[in-house]
Amino acid sequence: MPTNKLITLAEAVRRYTWDGMQYASGAALPVGSDAIVFGRELLRQQRRELHAIFHANTQQLNLLAAAGAVTRAECGFSGLEGFGFANGLRRAIEQGRLVLEDFSNLAMALRLLGGALNWPFVPATVNIGSDLQYRRAFEPDVHPNPNKIPSVTDPFSGKQIGAFSPLRPDLAAIHVTLADPEGDAIMLGTEWSRFELSRAARRVVLLADAIVDTDCMRQYPNLVRIPGIVVEAVVYWPFAAWPQASPGMHDVDEAHMKAMNVALGSDDGTAAYIRDYVESYADLDGYLDLIGRETISELSNGATAFLLDPYRRWLLPHAEALALTAEAST
Amino acid sequence: MTTDYSRQEMMAIATGREIRDGELAIFGVGLSMLAGYFAQAHHAPGVRAMTEGGVYGARPVGGLPWGIECNRLAVNAVSFTSALDALGCLVASGRCDVGIIGAAQVDRFGNVNTTGIWDGPIGEIYRPPKTRLTGAGGANDIACGAKRYLIMVSHEPKRFVDRVSYVTSPGYLDGGDAREQVGLIGGGPSAIITTLGILRPDPQSREFQLDAYFPFSGAEEILSNTGWDLKVAADVRVVSEPSSEELAALRRVDETGMLRR
Repeated sequence: MPTNKLITLAEAVRRYTWDGMQYASGAALPVGSDAIVFGRELLRQQRRELHAIFHANTQQLNLLAAAGAVTRAECGFSGLEGFGFANGLRRAIEQGRLVLEDFSNLAMALRLLGGALNWPFVPATVNIGSDLQYRRAFEPDVHPNPNKIPSVTDPFSGKQIGAFSPLRPDLAAIHVTLADPEGDAIMLGTEWSRFELSRAARRVVLLADAIVDTDCMRQYPNLVRIPGIVVEAVVYWPFAAWPQASPGMHDVDEAHMKAMNVALGSDDGTAAYIRDYVESYADLDGYLDLIGRETISELSNGATAFLLDPYRRWLLPHAEALALTAEAST
Repeated sequence: MTTDYSRQEMMAIATGREIRDGELAIFGVGLSMLAGYFAQAHHAPGVRAMTEGGVYGARPVGGLPWGIECNRLAVNAVSFTSALDALGCLVASGRCDVGIIGAAQVDRFGNVNTTGIWDGPIGEIYRPPKTRLTGAGGANDIACGAKRYLIMVSHEPKRFVDRVSYVTSPGYLDGGDAREQVGLIGGGPSAIITTLGILRPDPQSREFQLDAYFPFSGAEEILSNTGWDLKVAADVRVVSEPSSEELAALRRVDETGMLRR
């Protein structure tokens, strides 16, 4: 009998998160698909003092930082690419409310790989020789810092290299395009580090744009890079990445990306954003209404929609995915 | 002879001219992507471009991508993999021929700061910057691993400093063989291309010096916009103006006119 791991978003946050935890986001970064709605729910349930592990910043970290829910973060890129600086994150850092430990984008992937393999450390040939190695925000009074990326000797060549510490986050909320009720998942677009993260995290919750029949996974088993055996729970949540893009599903909502970042640039704007876009909806359908059905339809007809074509026959209708969620929750 | 082009367009074209056909190349979002895809559109059709998240074989459609994982690139990719693959297997490994990165600050040895702006030196105790920037991203990995890389930066005194306050992406560190001493695999920055000209490193000291200026600039303007006593190469030259073919190719890539604002 297959297991149905579908639960509501509210239940996932209640069950798997707590104040002070190491929380990791799994996404295509920085402005690609990310389970941003999980961060909204963390705020709705007033989680505090989070230690955020983000391969690179997204609007989710930007929002959590602006709201004051994150006190420590580790990431590579900390901006929003074409959308500019991440105003919420930068303000929290500049004001000393959030301490950011800087690494490069490859370093974050390697540290997750180290966690996944349960290695004691990962050899570092990047980040060495720069202030990414010598400056440690979590231990600011030691310089040059020998504890962030310590120098080690390559036992074969005798040369000096660096050592990265592995990451084992308490929870990873990973955005996927398609999941079946057992937690087998297909990601359209690049993985970034979602494969490594799904093995490194102590617990994994998937946020899926669509739920598919398991026959879909049997048709494309090579594409199932996250199998259900490493997954605790699945949340069905279309537009979980909004206002960012999800290849095959929808385009970026440019207007909201910009407005959101402007809002997160001030305390008043952040409070208004939380009131209007975090606390204002009751459930999934309310969230989709908030985005706007017309906007949803426009964004869904983007140039990458063809990427979804091979999978369409297995997509479960909205009502059925909701019914499966209700069934597992009882 | 073309005369109607912007300084940013000259910078992008001069950067693109550094890219050779067939090279394995990695570009970031923004100016560097425009320069890279200009090279592909103009003289390097066989350039093998990727993004750091592992998007292969894609050419932007519908305007400059918002990000390296933008749907404007995902729309015609032939392979999606991962950061570990692109930045690790293909860049940090030493395989990538050329990368292009940007800079908020760059110094005489080509070290790049994109982490933050402090009010003076940071000091012994690390503290938050006055202005937080975008961090390392994949630029540090490109700077450490690529065979060579190009730095694109607007030529202003506040950006061209004697010593960056924070080395985010290593150039030649303290100069000489400092890169080799810390064990970096890649060859380092081969040029800094600015809105006024081109700087290249001295082969021994690795200090950057003025190699060429643009038709609309000159050594004097460049020296007054550089925060260190920039040396001028004995054979300093003037860069040729963009040809009409080059400008046409660039403007096809830059269809939203980002470089003409």
